[in-house]
Amino acid sequence: MGCNYTKEELLKKATELELEFIHLQFTDILGVMKNVSITIEQLEKALNNEIMFDGSSIDGFVRIEESDMYLRPDLSTFVVFPWTNHAKEARMICDVYKADGTPFEGCPRNTLKKVLKEAYDMGYTMNVGPECEFFLFHTDERGEPSLETHDNAGYFDLAPIDLGGNARKDMTITLKQMGFEIEASHHEVAPGQHEIDFKYEDALTAADNIMTFKMAVRIIAQRHGLHATFMPKPKFGINGSGMHINMSLETLDGKNAFYDGEGELELSKTAYHYLGGIIKHARSFAALTNPTVNSYKRLVPGYEAPVLIAWSASNRSPLVRIPAKRGNSTRIELRNPDPAANPYLALAAILKAGLDGIQNKINPPAPVMSNVYHMDDVEMKEKGITSLPENLYEAVNELSKDEVIKDAIGAHVYEKFTDAALYEWYEYSKSVSKWELDRYLRKF
Amino acid sequence: MDSYRIVVADSSESSRKLICKLLNKKGYKTYQATDGAGAIRISRSVFPKLLIMDTNLWGMNAYEAARIIEEDQLSTVLFVTSNPTNSFYQKLKNMNVFAYVMKPIHPDQLYQMVEFSIMNGSKMHQLSKKIEKLESTLENRKKIDRAKGLLIEHLRISEEEAYKLLRRKSMDACISMDQMAEKIIKKYI
Repeated sequence: MGCNYTKEELLKKATELELEFIHLQFTDILGVMKNVSITIEQLEKALNNEIMFDGSSIDGFVRIEESDMYLRPDLSTFVVFPWTNHAKEARMICDVYKADGTPFEGCPRNTLKKVLKEAYDMGYTMNVGPECEFFLFHTDERGEPSLETHDNAGYFDLAPIDLGGNARKDMTITLKQMGFEIEASHHEVAPGQHEIDFKYEDALTAADNIMTFKMAVRIIAQRHGLHATFMPKPKFGINGSGMHINMSLETLDGKNAFYDGEGELELSKTAYHYLGGIIKHARSFAALTNPTVNSYKRLVPGYEAPVLIAWSASNRSPLVRIPAKRGNSTRIELRNPDPAANPYLALAAILKAGLDGIQNKINPPAPVMSNVYHMDDVEMKEKGITSLPENLYEAVNELSKDEVIKDAIGAHVYEKFTDAALYEWYEYSKSVSKWELDRYLRKF
Repeated sequence: MDSYRIVVADSSESSRKLICKLLNKKGYKTYQATDGAGAIRISRSVFPKLLIMDTNLWGMNAYEAARIIEEDQLSTVLFVTSNPTNSFYQKLKNMNVFAYVMKPIHPDQLYQMVEFSIMNGSKMHQLSKKIEKLESTLENRKKIDRAKGLLIEHLRISEEEAYKLLRRKSMDACISMDQMAEKIIKKYI
């Protein structure tokens, strides 16, 4: 977000602002943000990369014998929290390093950096513009989130007030204060569902922004007596929440590598190969872009979420859409990721898939022009269209067969991630849901 | 007495109803909330003059909810408690008005505290608005002086000329003088 302070400047700034607490943030493999909070007195120590934490206390991080981890704050991510009036607080996003001074391979931010370096060595940087959807629900009397979106208490003397809309407005203002450039913010299709889009940034900043965004949205929602959820499909029968990823590659001299005025659809060869890579690896990176049991309940026909692995320049139904804008705005929109994804790992996997396409000159299949939902099986088979995994188990299996994506996230993350995902799957499989009770309790 | 809107947040139904009944008798319009988040939601909808809140509220902590409501200037908060401990007094110090109502409710005390809190709450509110305005005027004044100084130094003109130039430039650009001053400061530094 572009405040490039030196250590000294930042120390001075922190004193000027009378900060009390600084939160050192990082993200675990499952995409949950973790915090090590320090007081202003410890800031200098933090800036010298001397803040340590016990890695074994974090889920799926490390074994106990290698538990000493160091946090290296990225000074460009320094942001003051606009919502704390009583005690001023700020944060910095950190990379996790091992005691011997090497990057920890279980830190998702390091993983993304590694793949970005590969892209850089091939002559590209990646730009990402996410579109993040979420639901705002009321909390019940016990403070637990409910699925309620409307006030049922009637205030007959007052015009109906859009609590969710007001909260969203407040979120937009807060995010702006934190340095976000907001492109759009609107009500989504489902009741209680909202979307806020922010301007594209380089992939690392975009991933940081997604994490910051989720935190800010939750906090502001709470200040409005609401609960914000990024769960992919909270309610049966209405649209789920996605996190469409708009992306493009930029050459090192600042040109959009996907644009070619002469090419078919004004897309460059690079764009087609990148697209080819995405299509080829879509089934295997789904585990990372859609990492929960619930994610696959969103990826069903009829709710604007993609099911089939196909692409189109005009149609919004397939997995990949090429938005109409050309020139510097030429980009590819991937529509399956959801906001439960760990943005660092998801972007690392997507980018790697695209790079593989460029390296091996993978050509994408022909675009689909008609609405893919209306195709029958025969037609799909003819066109060679497959579908995304149907559940988390299938997705993890697909991931296990794809060396390219496994290489992108590294052996450590792969192992911890699949352990966690399979654990989720088996727990889910064992549980008895309300659906089953409704269906079978009387019948048998 | 004006018919102000008051939100009553109390997880005990009997106590909530009692307070509302007493307030209605005096002509206040009341709204009820059973938990912290609910109190915030109602306050954001009706913008009450006062929020009467039991410290022992379900869901979100009462002090947390009260802090948000006062920080975002949705209302003044008046606590109700049966147990005014030391830590309660400490927390009360950070609120708009240092006042509370004891449980069991004594109607006269309730009426007195409600009036007191509404009056003092609005006085506090007016004062803080005034301070805010003065601070921003002062801040702008400083900026304009700074910009004027820079213009005098760089263009070698008199103070009056510098002021006129600044005024003309801001009029041409259709922005306020302090915004133009900011631009000038940025340009020269």
